[in-house]
Amino acid sequence: MHNYVRQISIFHTMNRYLTLVFLAIVALGCDSRLPDEVAEATDNLPEVIDFNFHVRPILSDRCFHCHGFDENGRKANLRLDVREAATAVIAESGNTPIVPGNPHKSAVVERILNQDPELVMPPKESKLELSAEEKAILIKWIEQGANWKEHWAYIVPAKAELPQVKNQTWPKNEIDFFVLKKLESLGLQPSEEAARETLIRRLSFDLTGLPPTPEAVEQYKQDQSTNAYEKLVDRLLSSRHFGERWAWEWLDVARYADTNGYQGDPTRIMWPWRDWVVKAFNDNMPFDEFTIKQIAGDLLPNASRTDILATAFNRNHPFNGEGGKIPEEVRVQNVFDRVETVGTAWMAITLNCSRCHDHKFDAISQKEYYQLFDYFNQTSETGKGSSGTIPPVVDVSPEEDLQKIAALKKYLIEIANEVDEVEIDKFPREADQPASKSKKIQEAAGSFFNAFDNQAFDRGQFVLRKIYEHFTNKDPSYANLVQKLREARLEYDRQLSENLQVMVMDQLPERRSTHILSKGNYSATQEEVFSGVPAVLPELPDGMENDRLALAKWLVSRDHPLTARVTVNRYWQAFFGRGIVKTIEDFGVQGDLPSHPEVLDWLAVDFQESGWDIKALFKKIVMSATYRQSSKVTKKLLEADPENKFLARATRMRLPSWMLRDQALFISGLMVDSLGGEPVKPYQPEGIWEEATFGKIKYQQGQGDELYRRTLYTFWRRIVGPTMLFDNSSRQVCEVKALRTNTPLHALTTLNDVTYVEAAKVLAERTLRAQKMDSDRLKYMFELATSRKPKEKEISILTDRLEQLKKQYSEAEEEAKKITAVGEYTPATTLDLTDHAAFTVLGSLVLNLDETITRQ
Amino acid sequence: MTKNKLLHPAEEYAAQITRRNFFGKMVQGVGTLALGSLLNPGLLSANSLASTGSLGTAGLGLPHFAPKAKRIIYLFQNGAPSHVDLFDYKPMLRKWHGRQIPDELAKGKRFSTMTGGQEERPVIAEISNFAQHGQSGAWVSDFMPETAKVADDLCFIKSMYTESVNHAPAITFFLTGSEQPGRPSMGAWLTYGLGSSSEDLPAFVTMTSRDKEASCGQIFYDYYWGSGFLPTKFQGVKFRGGGDPVLYLKNPQGTNREMRRNILNDLESLNEINFQEYGDPEINTRIAQYEMAYKMQMSVPELTDMSDEPQHILDMYGPDVHRKGSFAYNCLMARKLAEKGVKFVQCMHAGWDQHRNLNHQLKIQCKDTDAPSAALIKDLKQRGLLEDTLVIWGGEFGRTPFLQGNIKDYKNWGRDHHPYVFSLWMAGAGVKPGVTYGASDDFGFNPVENPVHVHDFQATVMHLMGINHEHFTFKHQGRRYRLTDVHGHVVKGILS
Repeated sequence: MHNYVRQISIFHTMNRYLTLVFLAIVALGCDSRLPDEVAEATDNLPEVIDFNFHVRPILSDRCFHCHGFDENGRKANLRLDVREAATAVIAESGNTPIVPGNPHKSAVVERILNQDPELVMPPKESKLELSAEEKAILIKWIEQGANWKEHWAYIVPAKAELPQVKNQTWPKNEIDFFVLKKLESLGLQPSEEAARETLIRRLSFDLTGLPPTPEAVEQYKQDQSTNAYEKLVDRLLSSRHFGERWAWEWLDVARYADTNGYQGDPTRIMWPWRDWVVKAFNDNMPFDEFTIKQIAGDLLPNASRTDILATAFNRNHPFNGEGGKIPEEVRVQNVFDRVETVGTAWMAITLNCSRCHDHKFDAISQKEYYQLFDYFNQTSETGKGSSGTIPPVVDVSPEEDLQKIAALKKYLIEIANEVDEVEIDKFPREADQPASKSKKIQEAAGSFFNAFDNQAFDRGQFVLRKIYEHFTNKDPSYANLVQKLREARLEYDRQLSENLQVMVMDQLPERRSTHILSKGNYSATQEEVFSGVPAVLPELPDGMENDRLALAKWLVSRDHPLTARVTVNRYWQAFFGRGIVKTIEDFGVQGDLPSHPEVLDWLAVDFQESGWDIKALFKKIVMSATYRQSSKVTKKLLEADPENKFLARATRMRLPSWMLRDQALFISGLMVDSLGGEPVKPYQPEGIWEEATFGKIKYQQGQGDELYRRTLYTFWRRIVGPTMLFDNSSRQVCEVKALRTNTPLHALTTLNDVTYVEAAKVLAERTLRAQKMDSDRLKYMFELATSRKPKEKEISILTDRLEQLKKQYSEAEEEAKKITAVGEYTPATTLDLTDHAAFTVLGSLVLNLDETITRQ
Repeated sequence: MTKNKLLHPAEEYAAQITRRNFFGKMVQGVGTLALGSLLNPGLLSANSLASTGSLGTAGLGLPHFAPKAKRIIYLFQNGAPSHVDLFDYKPMLRKWHGRQIPDELAKGKRFSTMTGGQEERPVIAEISNFAQHGQSGAWVSDFMPETAKVADDLCFIKSMYTESVNHAPAITFFLTGSEQPGRPSMGAWLTYGLGSSSEDLPAFVTMTSRDKEASCGQIFYDYYWGSGFLPTKFQGVKFRGGGDPVLYLKNPQGTNREMRRNILNDLESLNEINFQEYGDPEINTRIAQYEMAYKMQMSVPELTDMSDEPQHILDMYGPDVHRKGSFAYNCLMARKLAEKGVKFVQCMHAGWDQHRNLNHQLKIQCKDTDAPSAALIKDLKQRGLLEDTLVIWGGEFGRTPFLQGNIKDYKNWGRDHHPYVFSLWMAGAGVKPGVTYGASDDFGFNPVENPVHVHDFQATVMHLMGINHEHFTFKHQGRRYRLTDVHGHVVKGILS
């Protein structure tokens, strides 16, 4: 490198005497001396510059926008994303952008060092710059031969050999070797193992979404067996709460809600799919099967109702039923959503960029986007309709209701056929024409003849009533037949509304053609395209029809480089607070690089080899020493690694708001622990739905048990989600990133919402009944909330407050009555009012402790 | 790589300790010190942002230049006010009344499906009477008598145009720069970039109202004030019309403020014990948030207490001002919030979607909104706040100069959605008063002079707040996003 610096300097002194012609040839301007700061930065660079880790992030972020994959956006006919192009002479200018081994002959170097604001790259108007370090990296990389590598995420992962580590005693499994190796190279030490009460609490939330009971904590603390921890892990993995906890995360990915969104926001029945997800997690359905069923369960040979139900995944998007909408626009919008959701959820590819143009950064062309679009473009959904349940649907009602509806349908068809036959005689017209084309009917029915556009079976109640009324006097026998049909229709529709009709995917018998849509505009159709996968990824499996099922199988094929990595990474985030690739949603060239690529790849391959066994993956993660570390942080650690990227400690995380509510219900003993079923409506301030819907939809709060089910079962109105959740995905589009920012509104919720105050009240009751002495009561309550015994000074703070509260409430009986009357719950037998009130306030206090609302 | 100007973790750690001491004092009742920095999302965010890896406000170097506006009040008129009946006077419409709109204007244009298939498209004259007002001679319809009186303070833009023909996408486009939900709203961008200047209130507040008869079904989606891919703390805080103005604001029954103070003191002491052990700076952030919640419990009810307002001020906003959740009430609240330093107040009023009820409903709609909007201007002005407050009034698009419906069926006359040209007005900080900018053609159908795209409008708003919209980006999913996407030019012609 220094050699190069010298060359440039010599060149600089020479060039005053050289001609302009020469200047043009070597493509270096007057100010080509390597600037001091770049020379300085060069000294601090690693020995070997790696394309994927050092160079591509720079090229992608600063150059690809104009010199990348997108042909239409490309400037100066220069592309830097492939070696052949970047190292070839550009005909127009005669320049060679990059000459491997020769920075001073590379036009790129001249342009990034250029002092002339009109010539420097990136150009002024892009608002982008290169730092001295980045310039130095590019120059050194060229000097070292300018090697390109395929983007890391598109290379099929392989298990690396376990590295040699100095501290042989710490690692418990493969994860730890890689993590420790990195820590040792940074001069960091892993933290000690967390205390048992911390571990059981952490594991319980991570695996079941609920805190441990004090008995479970005690039992684990007393367990002297060598595999005590593993036994605990196995117990939690087999808990049925496991499915509920992990379904939540998938519901955010799937943008699940119980209504359509948009104007009117009608209710849909999608919860049987939610229950399917819970069951899939509890049964440890392999992730490949989980994938195939949700994307293409309907196309499986002999698909069962349950297989079809799984495809509701791709109908969970909002549906615009607004008046004045253009159905085709709505339909196309929904297909976009499916393509992009599948892209994000399984592949962390940001496909939406390619909706309008070739991707600026990743090698996904607009044409390839629409090839993927084609897979999801083949359902019978039309974009029409404004009700909650938009066909295609599957009926997953109990057998009895299925039989009922079948019988009613049969009867309806019989009568409808009868009506059709009568109408052929009564209203003659050409064969295959609807009755409305008959002259007779145009005379007989007058202005509403178009009521006869459809065959009798397809006529709705409203139309049938009109026909009946019109003909009652004119043609009583025909009118009576129509009335019979109307009654059959009413009965059928009524039963249908009671049945569980879930929106799912189906396949049109005849292919709907797919076109590239200019700028994503539904009506600006261009070239026709057919289903296919992006060229940068592996090919489709052989010998299959190229449909959604093939796409699903392709996603989970052994050589697909993304699915396993992306899935492992998303789950890793839940255990460590951030992904190994921090940009959970983007594994493309603009995404972050993995902090521990070997861990990611090892786990991804292991996940596949295990038969996509989710519980085995989780077990592997939580059995690691890395996971079991304490989350305590020292000043030194905070300085060295503020984001905890390198995992020299566990990560403290505030529990998501849905878990906070579950916890409050659980430790008070209020939680109604039943699995699945229709969504319920717990407490919510008055007027929330009315305000959002102009008074048209009122929130009818549930009663009794419905108030205390796990939050997973809370009814989710898409336009105004449950108010007690302050940090959740809004369930509009697919979201994979954990959202955990804090605002004062969180504090208001957990301090003042009736949900939490009632939980405090019942927690107080539980405490008062369990213990006689105030000091024991305080310990009991504290332990329920934090899973550990309180320290002396903690008890002393609480004791002081208790005394004061008791005094206050004994002097204000009315106030005591009020606080103990919050919520619908009433104790079976009466309690001492002052005690109950005082402990309720303390209950609220412990429910708001930072330690209670955090998983340490 | 962009340099993050957040405090170094070690400095942050030290700062936490200081902050903790500060609270310790405050708890003992010593301090009425400005809590501003603690309430400033930018500063508050330092730690939690570190865990999401994004830049905090502190690192953004904003504003880029001295801002003209310190705050914004956006009176958003959902449903699309009819520009040709209210501000954009077109005598040609009366001449053409009943005749088909010229093909060269309407042919091939998209309208909603409500008139998309309509065969007859007769022009209809404005249903109001126009006159010129003030020194500036601005044309304003007699449906807006009070607005007409402040015309000299307003800057009318009559050449706005947008892209979508449907409400939700068009509103989303105005407020977030994209038709699809999921991007940060303007208020979220601004509070993310500029932080808060209020000591005890959120930086971004939103309120909604609707016409009394609920004639139109437009819904207020919460992504209209959402934070999109920015941290959720930047989303607008909804002040509600009924119940607690902020959700869960009131202490539980049977408790009082003193008790709450005590409980918060205990919480702080107990959290402090845990902090000594765990050293996690988040613990202190949480303490700060509980403190801000406590302050809000005082400041928000104070805000909603109208008893201090003199009668003549209340009268100016009109009788509806006493009805919580009305547009008038929200306008007065907006002024109070502006006084308290809230950066972005978004009042959304629905009811402007006159498809079938133009002849009777538009007038009612104007009656509900005209006086309060004008009162807000006058009220801000007399307090010297209009100088550094930007007020914006407008909807998501305009309405067709031609009829929706049957011309013989006068009762059910309407106008359909019209994105091709429409009007809005701005007033206050940095905007020329008493001018009209841009113009539409003789039918009020297309812009013919100085067209202003929604992205231009957004660029201009940013500019007034001291932000170069092209430089203000957030990297998400590998792309640098801006409010203005990759478009937008500051409308220099309206800047004072």
